[in-house]
Amino acid sequence: MTQTSGITMAVFVIYILGVFVLAGLSHQLLSRKSFLGEYFLGSRGLGTWALALTFAATSASGGSFGGYPSLIYSHGWILAFWIAGYMIMPLVTMGLLGKRLNQVARKTDAITIPDVLRDRFESTTVGLIASCLIIFFSICFLVAQFKLGALIIEDTFNLKWSRSYEISLLVFAVTVIVYTAYGGFRAVVWTDVMQGIVMGIGVVVLVPIVLSKTGGLENTTRELANQAPLAITSVPGPEGKKGTFNDLAVRAIAEPIPAELVYLKPVNSEAVLKIAWANAVGDGQVVQVTMATDADGTVTTTANDIKQAIEQHPEFGQILEVEIPYKNDKDGQGATGVIGFPKEASEYRYTFLHGEEFLFGPGRTNKGSPFHSLGLIISFFFMWTIIGMAQPVTLVRLMAFKDSRTLNRAMMTVTIYYALIYLPLVFVVMAARSELPLLTPEDSDRAIVLVATRVVAGMGIWHQALGAIFVAAPFAAVMSTVDSLLLLISSGAVRDIYQRSINPHVGQRTMKWASYAMTVIVGVVVTVLATHPPDFLQKIIVFVAGGTAAVFLWPMVLGLYWPGMTRQGAIASMLGGFSVVVGLFGPTWVGHGRINLMGFHPAFWGVVASLVLAIVVSKISGPPPSHLTRKYFSRASGVDQ
Amino acid sequence: MADVSRDITEVNDDPIFRHTRREAWFIMILWTACLIYNCTYCYLYGYLSHPPHPDSTGPSIGEMVGPLTSFDRDPATLTTPLGLGIPDWVFYGVVMPWLFCIVATFWFCLFIFVEDDLSSADASPENSE
Repeated sequence: MTQTSGITMAVFVIYILGVFVLAGLSHQLLSRKSFLGEYFLGSRGLGTWALALTFAATSASGGSFGGYPSLIYSHGWILAFWIAGYMIMPLVTMGLLGKRLNQVARKTDAITIPDVLRDRFESTTVGLIASCLIIFFSICFLVAQFKLGALIIEDTFNLKWSRSYEISLLVFAVTVIVYTAYGGFRAVVWTDVMQGIVMGIGVVVLVPIVLSKTGGLENTTRELANQAPLAITSVPGPEGKKGTFNDLAVRAIAEPIPAELVYLKPVNSEAVLKIAWANAVGDGQVVQVTMATDADGTVTTTANDIKQAIEQHPEFGQILEVEIPYKNDKDGQGATGVIGFPKEASEYRYTFLHGEEFLFGPGRTNKGSPFHSLGLIISFFFMWTIIGMAQPVTLVRLMAFKDSRTLNRAMMTVTIYYALIYLPLVFVVMAARSELPLLTPEDSDRAIVLVATRVVAGMGIWHQALGAIFVAAPFAAVMSTVDSLLLLISSGAVRDIYQRSINPHVGQRTMKWASYAMTVIVGVVVTVLATHPPDFLQKIIVFVAGGTAAVFLWPMVLGLYWPGMTRQGAIASMLGGFSVVVGLFGPTWVGHGRINLMGFHPAFWGVVASLVLAIVVSKISGPPPSHLTRKYFSRASGVDQ
Repeated sequence: MADVSRDITEVNDDPIFRHTRREAWFIMILWTACLIYNCTYCYLYGYLSHPPHPDSTGPSIGEMVGPLTSFDRDPATLTTPLGLGIPDWVFYGVVMPWLFCIVATFWFCLFIFVEDDLSSADASPENSE
């Protein structure tokens, strides 16, 4: 084991031990307080730092230190625009609903989000729909996050065993299930605080180190403007199987600059790679490499073969440079997987990205389409703020703080925290770009880890420890999301479905063991599902984020602020929003793209449909019972139940 | 509908509800201002071209706004304000409004947000510390 991996292992072990210690301390509190309120809501006792950091850490998820830096690496400065909604996210997500939701939850002693909706509209149906949809969405999301957690362990420790994924998954699952089930909400919050500190310190310390080591942003921005046009291919292996990518990077080092690079599907047992020049027609302006196939017609040519074939043409060597990008493969043999073509595709087409495309919008995907068009600009600003506000894991936290002053201080804290994390991450990755190896879109998920380990390499043991902390940050982010979701499902099943809908007279002791058991059962079920996760996990994550917003945003917002909202309006809003999102995402489950009406993201339309239905159906079915409007909107409501 | 309005007017006198509603209006106005400024500025001054969404179903919002070719950015005009290495459009379109939002959030928390007593709404004392 190298010194660096030894330090990484030490940081991981200390971190996991810390998590278990916090779970133990939290469990002691469970015996002294009302079980359900403490287990699922921490007895509404969160202070400023706990609320701020659990809010920030939970909403961060693994993507903040995996997918987001990867996108910065792949598309450049446009990501500062892409993430810009975070400038006002803390104020919107915490300030718009926080105090009012906390007040309403206290009125009826609600512990969960379905509790709040059920009591606000005095409807078991509303509560059950909310519970079932939370469980559905959360399980989908958990499968993706469990897989991500296992991959981080496998990747960090470079495990090469035949069952390394399953073993990593087991380690991740046991850790997170045990401390969540044993410690409940307070353990989750305390570990979130620890995770939030780890993530925050990681970024804050990394920024000056990277900027000083790389000579600052000015140099790298100018270098990027002059960067040679580059095409990075990433063709899935046979039958779209992941892990056998055949990656190749072609860089134009002189005029004329190539226009595109095309893989053509095998025809008559012969597949072809063509690199075509701008405005070119004819053989003289096209590099064409014939790729070998076996008896079944499967391509057997590797990226290395193609690289060698192109380099055998000296006339092209003067204007093209072919590279094999960094590959985080376990056998260390580089891009050796053979090219495969999904049945419906006849070709793979890649365009050359110019240096200035990393400095300005709209950015481009490696298949040539614009990365951040106008519809998506508005959709993302909308998603980060308005949709972020409606996530059940964040809403639950707004029910758990102890007083208004706590919320007030936490909003300021999270605002500073996000400003220190999300924009500086753009600075860090952009500044370090020239120090990183050439990465494919898939391997660019490791961009921030490579920044932390390579840029600080050779700077002494403390800097290596910093690198190790950064390696742990995505793991911490995934854990902080997973533990919250486990409790969300458990509370949905035990509190909302069993206690409030099936057996209202169940005893405290039964509820206690049912809560422990349900948390463990959910964890085990998700672990089993994650052993064979579907390939479209990223699509699931986007679908879940949009779907939960379309279901919960307006019933919650209008329920809290509009006395005229009725239970029929709430039901129509939830089911309508859900149907629209499912319908627009539908094509993705059969291998096609989602439906972007007018260029807007499906989540946007789901939220719009949910709003329209909530208002129209409430107007038609109203007015709501007067005792409900008095209870929730009148000074003299007291605890009128 | 008139009855509903009268009923609502009569009952919505909960002080916490009124405070939170006023605070919500402030937040929504600020959010709208940020959305309009950030999206408009960056889209107009930070884009090499303004293509519509490639997979749009029906007319794309990008097409409806127009081609905006007169706003296509010339890469040669790139500047980096204050020598920070941040492209001008990011500096003025994202960094500056982000700083403004930090100030606005603190302003909101210190001068607009009312620290109401939430414990008065408690239904069950055993669940609060």
